[in-house]
Amino acid sequence: MSSRRSGSGASRITDDQIIDLVSKLQQLLPELRNRRSNKASASKVLQETCNYVRSLHKEVDDLSDRLSRLLSTIDDDSPQASIIRSLLN
Amino acid sequence: MSPPQQPSSTNPNSLKIRLTHRFLHNLNNLNKKRSNLDNTQIHRRSHRVKLAAYASMARVVGSRRAWSRAILWKIRNRKVFTRNKRVDHKTTHHHHLARSIKRRTTNHSNHKREYVDPNGNSGQEVKLRKLVPGVETMDACGLLDETADYIKCLATQVEVMRNLVDLYSTI
Repeated sequence: MSSRRSGSGASRITDDQIIDLVSKLQQLLPELRNRRSNKASASKVLQETCNYVRSLHKEVDDLSDRLSRLLSTIDDDSPQASIIRSLLN
Repeated sequence: MSPPQQPSSTNPNSLKIRLTHRFLHNLNNLNKKRSNLDNTQIHRRSHRVKLAAYASMARVVGSRRAWSRAILWKIRNRKVFTRNKRVDHKTTHHHHLARSIKRRTTNHSNHKREYVDPNGNSGQEVKLRKLVPGVETMDACGLLDETADYIKCLATQVEVMRNLVDLYSTI
């Protein structure tokens, strides 16, 4: 596929740039990372990206919930707290 | 297998470490402020932990990225919003701008293409813009680039949180 470049030199987005970014994105997606062809279709990559971001948001919610419950079981004098403190320093 | 090239700002090791430090710091502050715990408090606390997570991410990345700037802006203005309800002034301008750009470029998105629409206003891009903070008015390249960075940081933050949950629950 030929990439189109604007004759005037204005910063027009080229197909190559987008292909490159899409494939970089693909490498980050757990679903598509192991595909042998390094070019899944752009729309598939975008779709997976949306799904992945949504699932990450959900994970943050779940983990926040669990963390908040666990936090409440720790008081300042416990060994856990001192471990956390040492991690912070 | 880690990729051969890793710029230091997105090297997973240093990012993870920085995220861990910042998140623990925020959690520690949360812990100090806590009052007596009952069931209603847990829900609010969970919300605060979530905010701390996003705040950590945005803080560590700083103003280098549109998504982190957007999060930091939202956090700073949350307090203003709950006090004054005057923020609409700024956000409606933002949305108006986004909508007018969209209107101008929808002609190009009818043509069915394999590639991402360079203006990034068709199909999945629209959904993506709602998921990633700060990308409402970016072109397709910016959108993809920001999304990649956002995903990297978000995934690392999730990893940090998982590690902490394991730590807290097995001790």
